[in-house]
Amino acid sequence: MFTEELKAFRRLGFRHVLLQVLNFASVIASGLMIWKGLGLITNTESPIVVVLSGSMEPAFYRGDLLFLTNPPHERYHTGDITVYKIPGADIPIVHRVMETHDVSSPVKISGLDLKVPGEQLILTKGDNNHIDDIELYQGLDWLERKHIVGKVRGLLPYVGYVTIAMNDFPQLKYALLGILGLLALIQRE
Amino acid sequence: MALLAAITIASLLQEAIYPPQINGQISMKPVKVFNAKTPRQRRKQEMGFLNFNMTADLTPLFTWNTKQLFLSLEAEYENAQGVNNTIVLWDRIVRRPEDARVNVVGAKNKYAFKEIGGKGFSKGAAGTASYALKYNLMSYVGMLRYGEAARLSDVSFDVREEL
Repeated sequence: MFTEELKAFRRLGFRHVLLQVLNFASVIASGLMIWKGLGLITNTESPIVVVLSGSMEPAFYRGDLLFLTNPPHERYHTGDITVYKIPGADIPIVHRVMETHDVSSPVKISGLDLKVPGEQLILTKGDNNHIDDIELYQGLDWLERKHIVGKVRGLLPYVGYVTIAMNDFPQLKYALLGILGLLALIQRE
Repeated sequence: MALLAAITIASLLQEAIYPPQINGQISMKPVKVFNAKTPRQRRKQEMGFLNFNMTADLTPLFTWNTKQLFLSLEAEYENAQGVNNTIVLWDRIVRRPEDARVNVVGAKNKYAFKEIGGKGFSKGAAGTASYALKYNLMSYVGMLRYGEAARLSDVSFDVREEL
């Protein structure tokens, strides 16, 4: 079955195989660089996220791809859809902003440290949930800017399903990686 | 994949056209304020209770690429400690152009209208609040867009005794 390929492989020689390995590595490296570069431009740690739950239906479904930005000097508005990550929680959450409280002079709000001008307290809620997210904040009363990864700017449906499928069936991930690696090694160019 | 790319490009071109201006109307009585609490709270704080009417025709916002409209009525006011608050009090998701003629009569706020500092709704610089109907236009593919459909300024608070 693979005799032809193996023969071709032997004919190409050791140096060719090494070259292909290097090519493969450079593809992976440039992919990482594009990801990090996008993160730098948009000022978020992950400029593209995949929706994993149905709490924002019918706005976003599982598998939708979201594009985020996080301009450093822009405040958040009610109606914005944010992605936030509470310290201690392992998964970022995509929910809509329901309340914003902008501090304009130093103020002490019960249960919080002194808030200085420029700080913003935020409350979020999933469109498909009945109540707001306080239960999800793990003891915090309000969300703050430092918890927010970014604001959703655009969406592309279904595309993210690939990653969900790969998470649900790890074999698929290894099979895909194996096929890609083999192709990179065998392909001659 | 190519089809999706084509749709994305078409939708971006279409979104370059600014969404049409919507002129809706809001009317409401002075907002009643009681010292109260929700079951999830331990302490009492001032809470506002609305009774509002609202009309707006949002059908011009619907195009072939419109997935849904998220409508929200929000209150904007400054409290005694100088905190600028914006709070969503009512929302609705519109998915079909047939449902895009909003006509709300005698509605109450869907979400609690709570004063973050405990009290002082009417003690801010202005002593009043503005209410605005905002929309978030969401496409099947493409960008999220925002706009305002109606606004009512200088609605006073009617602070009452204990509930």
